[in-house]
Amino acid sequence: MEILQWIIDNILTQASVIIGLVALLGLALQKKPINEIISGTLKTMLGFLVLSAGSSVMQTSLTYFGDMFNQAFGFNGMSAVVASIEGINGQAMTDLGLGSEIAICLAGIFIVNIILARFTPFKYVFLTGQALLWESTLCVVFAWFCGLRGIPLILIASIVGGAFATLMPAFAQPVVRKITESDDIALGHFCTFGYMFTALIATITKKLAGGHESQSTEELELPQSLSFMQDSYLAVMVVMIPFYLIIAGFAGPEAAADYAGDVNYMVYAFLQAMQFVVGLYVLLAGVRLLLAELVPAFQGISMKLVPNARPALDCPVLFTYAPNAVIIGFICTTIGSLIGMAITGFMGTLVIPGVMSNFFAGGTAGIFGNAIDGRRGAIIGGIFHGIFIMILPALLSPMLAQIGFVNMTCTDVDTVVTGFFFMAIHSILGLFGIA
Amino acid sequence: MGKLRILTVCGNGLGSSFACQMAVEGVLKGLGVDCKLDHDSVSSVASAARNFDMIIAAENFKTQIESANTGLPCVFLHRLVDKKEIEEKVTPVLKDMGLL
Repeated sequence: MEILQWIIDNILTQASVIIGLVALLGLALQKKPINEIISGTLKTMLGFLVLSAGSSVMQTSLTYFGDMFNQAFGFNGMSAVVASIEGINGQAMTDLGLGSEIAICLAGIFIVNIILARFTPFKYVFLTGQALLWESTLCVVFAWFCGLRGIPLILIASIVGGAFATLMPAFAQPVVRKITESDDIALGHFCTFGYMFTALIATITKKLAGGHESQSTEELELPQSLSFMQDSYLAVMVVMIPFYLIIAGFAGPEAAADYAGDVNYMVYAFLQAMQFVVGLYVLLAGVRLLLAELVPAFQGISMKLVPNARPALDCPVLFTYAPNAVIIGFICTTIGSLIGMAITGFMGTLVIPGVMSNFFAGGTAGIFGNAIDGRRGAIIGGIFHGIFIMILPALLSPMLAQIGFVNMTCTDVDTVVTGFFFMAIHSILGLFGIA
Repeated sequence: MGKLRILTVCGNGLGSSFACQMAVEGVLKGLGVDCKLDHDSVSSVASAARNFDMIIAAENFKTQIESANTGLPCVFLHRLVDKKEIEEKVTPVLKDMGLL
């Protein structure tokens, strides 16, 4: 008995072990040979630990950034948060100690998704592992914030996450069908509300123009020099470096003295901006390892259990259908997010745009805008999309701060909607005195 | 020659390259080619390439991957998970390599 208690206290509370066990289960269910089960389990655990390491590098950089911001502009109680779903996941899994719950909930979302796809008309199987990990994070964090613990937490978080994983691809499918001119793949990326908002704006611009669609973005000749924007880490650097330099410039050399030591404060700011990207790079390398065994297991099992399932895949599978729209969408979303940032300044918490999200969600929003109303839809829709994906996370950030997240907010808007959904249910139940 | 090693590539090396990898795996199994696959980001191609025999990516990454000068045969896809397109484009490369 004592041994069992010792195992529970010391081993089963370790998130890396729980994640390893989830992978072990997935591999065993596929009847893999024993050597593959062992190596897959170990690699999954390694992935979690790499993710944690990346998260702490990112956080060190963000702590510096937040401190500089406060010293420069903090006099009227304003604070700054950086929008990064990767960082939110990292902090939740490590600092908030919810890693085990998030890992089990990830498996729970797989199961709920398979059940819903099997028994409802929504035949969508969500295969974008990292997006599911982000969704699992927000479901667990908000279920936990609403006071749930243990098995009820896992159950509720899995059901909500599984419902989102099944319904969001269905929500986007009418436009995806138009983009791919087929019905065999779906979009599995939790920025769907943003994409459909873009499509709505493009529908309006088309109406205002008397129902005539403008020319497609794909008939444009874009300069070759823009192609560096295809490299997402480079794009993050190009945007983060000026933010860090500007804030450090305003904060001045004294503010940074404790951090920088003998290094010049502007050089230090530059290096810290790079550190942010280092953290992101390592974190995502960890995610890649973490998911390498889980996603094929899920695909294999779900495709067997759900006949004629439609795979919901990550947004770049759409990029080849309108590569110009991707670049235009990224640029316009970035412009919109800067406008959005100015607006969030008036809301009390300045949100620094999430470049990763601008890049992927922005690119996809460009494709959606283009599909409805050509280049006009991609440009105007893209700008509104940028504003939209800043305002929503800004509204959520006070709650995230209350939960214990430091200098951070979400990016992918469906995860933000998940947070609101939990809070809404919680307050409705509260009205009846249940919660 | 051991297993054919193939790297699939996308922007982040997370989602779509992974989906592509699983589709390629299915195709090669069908062709009876023994292979080992992995996926990575376009930023890492230049350094990762030396552990692989072939690169597969979406056609929008063509310029960047070619500028990395990996010296490996590259296949660029319009539809990343379309098994028919994968088979059509990969088969001639495999024949060149003497694997079919």
